[in-house]
Order: sequence, then structure tokens, then C-alpha cells
Amino acid sequence: MHGHGWKWLLCTPALIVLLLAASGPLLIVAVYSFLSPGNMGGVVWEFSLEAWFRVFFRRDIFEPDLVEWNRAHLQVFWRSIWLSLQTTFICAVLGFPTAWFIATRPRHTRTIWLFLITIPFWTNLLIRTFAIQEMIRNNGTVNAVLMWSGLIDSPIQMMFTEFAVLLGMAYVFLPLMVLPLYAAMEKMDFSLVEAGYDLYASRLNVLWHVILPQVKPGFIAGSILVFIPAIGAYVTPRVLGGGRTMMLGNLIALQFGQGRNWPLGAALAMLMLVVVVGALIFYLRVVGRNDEARRG
Amino acid sequence: MSHEIDITGLSKSFGQGAAAFQALKEIDLTITSGEFFTLLGPSGCGKTTLLRIIAGFELPSTGTVRINGRDVTSLGPSKRPVNTVFQSYALFPHMSLSENIGFGLKMLGKPKAEIRATVDEMLQLVRLEAMADRRPSEISGGQQQRVALARALAPRPRVLLLDEPLSALDLKLRKEMQSELKRLQSETGITFVFVTHDQEEALTMSDRIAVMSAGQILQLGAPQEIYNTPVNRFVADFIGDTNFLKLRVKAVDAGMAVLELPGGKAAQASLPDGMRPATGALVTAVIRPEQAEATGADEGDLHATVESATFFGTDTHLHLTLADAQGFVLRRQNRPGQPVPAPQSRLGLALAPGALRVLED
Ligand SMILES: Nc1ncnc2c1ncn2[C@@H]1O[C@H](COP(=O)(O)OP(=O)(O)OP(=O)(O)O)[C@@H](O)[C@H]1O
Ligand SMILES: [Mg+2]
Repeated sequence: MHGHGWKWLLCTPALIVLLLAASGPLLIVAVYSFLSPGNMGGVVWEFSLEAWFRVFFRRDIFEPDLVEWNRAHLQVFWRSIWLSLQTTFICAVLGFPTAWFIATRPRHTRTIWLFLITIPFWTNLLIRTFAIQEMIRNNGTVNAVLMWSGLIDSPIQMMFTEFAVLLGMAYVFLPLMVLPLYAAMEKMDFSLVEAGYDLYASRLNVLWHVILPQVKPGFIAGSILVFIPAIGAYVTPRVLGGGRTMMLGNLIALQFGQGRNWPLGAALAMLMLVVVVGALIFYLRVVGRNDEARRG
Repeated sequence: MSHEIDITGLSKSFGQGAAAFQALKEIDLTITSGEFFTLLGPSGCGKTTLLRIIAGFELPSTGTVRINGRDVTSLGPSKRPVNTVFQSYALFPHMSLSENIGFGLKMLGKPKAEIRATVDEMLQLVRLEAMADRRPSEISGGQQQRVALARALAPRPRVLLLDEPLSALDLKLRKEMQSELKRLQSETGITFVFVTHDQEEALTMSDRIAVMSAGQILQLGAPQEIYNTPVNRFVADFIGDTNFLKLRVKAVDAGMAVLELPGGKAAQASLPDGMRPATGALVTAVIRPEQAEATGADEGDLHATVESATFFGTDTHLHLTLADAQGFVLRRQNRPGQPVPAPQSRLGLALAPGALRVLED
């Protein structure tokens, strides 16, 4: 451990950036959530718990003492979590065969497939989302083809539904699942698969007992990379979901915009942070449980 | 002795069209039940390919594989009574040693109690009882090797395939594992098909050896047979050390030739089947380094000058030059008080009767 005493100095630049770029704003948001809203937006420097109260509850307009759950907010929380979980699941189910396909190609062609996977990143998210809109709106491509082929008589309503949001998010976040899965598979020792077959395992058993345990780190990384941005998604639910399928990100943006309630927006943002960190800890506990139990 | 594995007309090509590469060429092979059979050959000769076809990982281009009389050519590895010990061991890193060893039985749907009993028995067989709950990453290379063996033996296959299982071990451990393998084979009575490119390993362990080169089996036989009567120059060169001498034929008679030795004397040499060289032709004759004896300078069949001597502990290799400048290596067992000949000293060589053999090139 020679020279260990000063080596931490090497991380100071990164620490400063982290402090300024991440902790600073976070602190501001945390403080704002305990202040009062200004009339034209902004905050008034007056301590108040009202914002946190209104995250979960609402008062009757005529009788301020009548308190009830803020159903609209709870619905948005629930929808955000549920849609993000579904997105993660869909990405995992679609991403696994994709990553497997790439990982089992000859080495020199894998780069091409990976390149194709990353191409969507080159285009602005908004434009890609509008492209999906173009596909699924009532007189868009999908409905036009279905009507032309005679399968349906009138267009299917897909825009402004949870389905549309799910489709958009799965499309946007799929590469974030494929890449870590591919990385895990590429490291995998394929002779383990042969050993599995050699020891009388069926295809399903090889998948379950040999391949999945090997690529588990990829699944964990991919799930985190998909779930976290999904729960804070803004553009996709805004464009494809409209006002009826609002998610947490849109609700927060609303408070800083038309809602003119910055403290409420700040409280909602903090809540989201707590939800994400909580989910992360829970997930790592549950998924990593087997390994720890064994090592323990 | 029943047939365990019958291979007929087996070929394997990789790639297509002009880029096709024939890794195995028309192999015919029968392996007997309960024998320790070795595939021996230089790197790239097709040993692994042949083993993978027997295991079911690879489909042959032509030919059939039968195991215990049943045609298994198109069956997958999970449907063959054959288990493999992989060169890289391929132990499941996320399972304990017990789980690794019990995996095959679990997949066969055996009851839990039976699995536990067999796993315990296997752990005992490879002497790893104390480590049953460890992960493969927590044991040494030699121990991993033994777990791989136990895992492959646990389902009691008819045949065990081993692809260079000892090549990753250091010399001492390798010697230990060699006798361990022999012990396991005789205790279980399972047919072993063993791949190696180490000729000494093949000679010491095998009941029979198939010497392969470029996708073909050149010679098949017991270790003594292969060592004493190699069929061609490649086998003679690959197995053990050999002196190759270019000698002139003086006379030919019923499977024997009389060859003119450097220095003028003559010696009898056996001829391979069907070869009848003309009198006066130059042929290649072989003799093993230990099949000649040093004599006084004016005695023996050959006269030689000592160039150098290399000490090997049990014996000494004398590098000699014959009268016509051809090289010759003599292996002499060391005895107490026996002097090492000085460089440039002269000695005679007496060839053991029947040691000299003519080979087709
Ligand atoms: N999947 C493959 N595609 C193309 N060629 C292959 C493939 N597998 C093996 N070969 C070729 O077939 C030949 C035989 O290979 P094989 O692995 O059987 O050799 P080996 O005798 O086991 O050699 P080593 O002692 O180095 O393991 C080699 O020339 C190899 O390049
Ligand atoms: Mg090989």
C-alpha cells in the first residue's frame, strides 16, 4: 500500500464535477421542496410542508379541512412504475434473443450488428418519437396497411394510449438492454453450453441452468439502464401518450411550467429519486441474494 | 470383447466450395468396451474434431458413428451415453462442486437421494469430500480437473471422452493425474477415449493408440507395437526418438534386406509388407537410440566419432557421427563409475538383432 496516502487526490477533479453538477442542483431541488410557491412561478423563501403534503393529498376547494388522497397523483405514480416495469420486461424479452444472435455471429460480423443497434442513437429522440407517431396514428402507416388488406374496417386507436407509450419506450430503450446483455454473453464461455448438453440437459434447461446464470450481470445492468430513464421519461409519454397517459416526468414538468408550483415540482422530483434509489436497492438485494447467501 | 464405438467412413469438412477444409478423411475405427483408447497426433490433425463428432457436438460430413451397436450419427449430445471432460474443464462457475457433479443426474431426472449418494461417491473417488460446497473458482487447477472428471463420470456413461485433460497442469501434477486416470478407468470399467499430443503420455497410459496425421489414422495398435514397428516415417518420428539412416540395398530376400552400413559392414533389416527395393537402391532404415550398444573402437557393426554427450539422469545421449558423416544418437543407460566418452573419441556400435527396419518414406 505504498503511496496510498495521496492517491485519492487523483479523484478530486471527478469529485468536484460530481459535487457541482449533481449534488448542487439536487440540494437546490431538495431545499425548494420545502419552500412556498411564488405567484408567477419561482419560490418564496418561506418554509412550508405544503408541497410534500400535496404530493399525496388534496384539500377540498370549499372546505379546506376536508382532506383526501390525491388520486390523480397516485395514478401517475402507479402508471410510471407499472409502465417502466413493463418496458424493462419487454426490453429483456426482446433484447435477449437479439444479443444472443449477435454474440453467436462470427467475430468480424458482430461489429456490424452492434453498429446497426446503435444507429437510432444518432437521431434526435423527438424525431424518432414523431416517426412512431407517424406509424401508429389513426391514418398512419399501420392502420393504412391493415385497412387496405381488409383486416379492419375502421382505424384502431393507438395514439394516446398506454400501449403507445409502452411501444415508444421499449423502442427507445431496447439498445440499453441489448448492449450490456451482449457484453455479458460475449464474455461467456460457450463450452459451458456444450457441457450442459453433454450432461443431458434439454434446450430449456441449458437456457435456465447454464446461460441465464452466466448473463445475469448483463440483465441486472440492462434492467437498471432501462428502468431508471423509463420512470423519468418525458418526451415519449408527452408525444405518444398525450394528457391522458401522463407519467411522472410530465407531471413534474407541468409544475414548473403551467402549474407554477415549483415546490410541488421539486417535491415530486425528490420523490422520484427516492423511488428509483429504493427500487434499485430492493432489486439488487433480491437479484443478488443467491450469490450472497452462498458466499456468506 | 464387444464393440463400444464403431466409426465407418467418417469424413468432416469445414467451410464450403473452394474454402472447404477436410479435417477428417474417411476414418474407420473400432473401439472396444472397457479399453483405454488414445488419439495421438500433432496439433491440427483432427483429434478434437473426431472427439466432438463422437460426443455429438459436430455432425460428420459423411460416415456413421455407432455406440454399442446403435447408430447415433444424427443424435445430439444429450441423447448419447457419452460424457466429455473438456480441455478447459467447463465447470459451471455459479454452482458448487456438488452441484456441478450432480448436474447430469439432475438433468436425467434421478431422485434427490440417489443424486446425493452418487455425488458423495464421486467426491470420494476424486478425493474432494472436504470441498463439496466450494465454487470452482475457489479450488486449484488440479482439483478442477478432478471435479470435471467426477462430473463426467457421475451419470455412469458407457464412454468417457477426454480432450487433452492434462495439458494445463504442470509436470508433477500431470504425472499424478495420469495414474489417477488409470485408477479411475480400472475402477469404473468405463471406456476411455483420450486425446493427447504427448507421445509419452500416450505410451504409458493406453491400451491402444491411434496415431493421426492430417485427418487420417496412420497406425493403430498397442503402445509396444507402435513403438517397435512404426509403419512409416511419420509415426517413427512422432513416437519416441529415432535414427534415420540412408543405406544402400545389397540383397533382398523374403521380407528382409541386407543393407550396406557406413564403414563397409552389412546388416539385415526387415522390410515393410509389399516393399521390394531393387538391389543398389537407397532406402531409409530406422533404429531406436537404445537398440545399439557401444563397443570398443574396432569392434561392432558401425564406427562412430563422439560429438557430444547429454546427461539425462537415467541415461546419457551420445551424439555420434558415422563413417559417412550421417548422424546417430545412442542412448546409454547410466551406471555407477561408467565414464562419459570424451568428444572426438572413437567407438564402435553393435546393433541389436532385428532392430534395423526399412521404412517407406
Ligand atoms: N469450426 C471449424 N471451422 C473451420 N476449421 C476448423 C474448425 N474446427 C477445426 N477446424 C480445423 O480442422 C483441423 C483439425 O482441428 P482439430 O481441432 O480437430 O485439431 P486437433 O488435432 O484437436 O489439434 P490440437 O492438438 O491443436 O487441439 C484444424 O486444421 C482446424 O483448423
Ligand atoms: Mg484439440
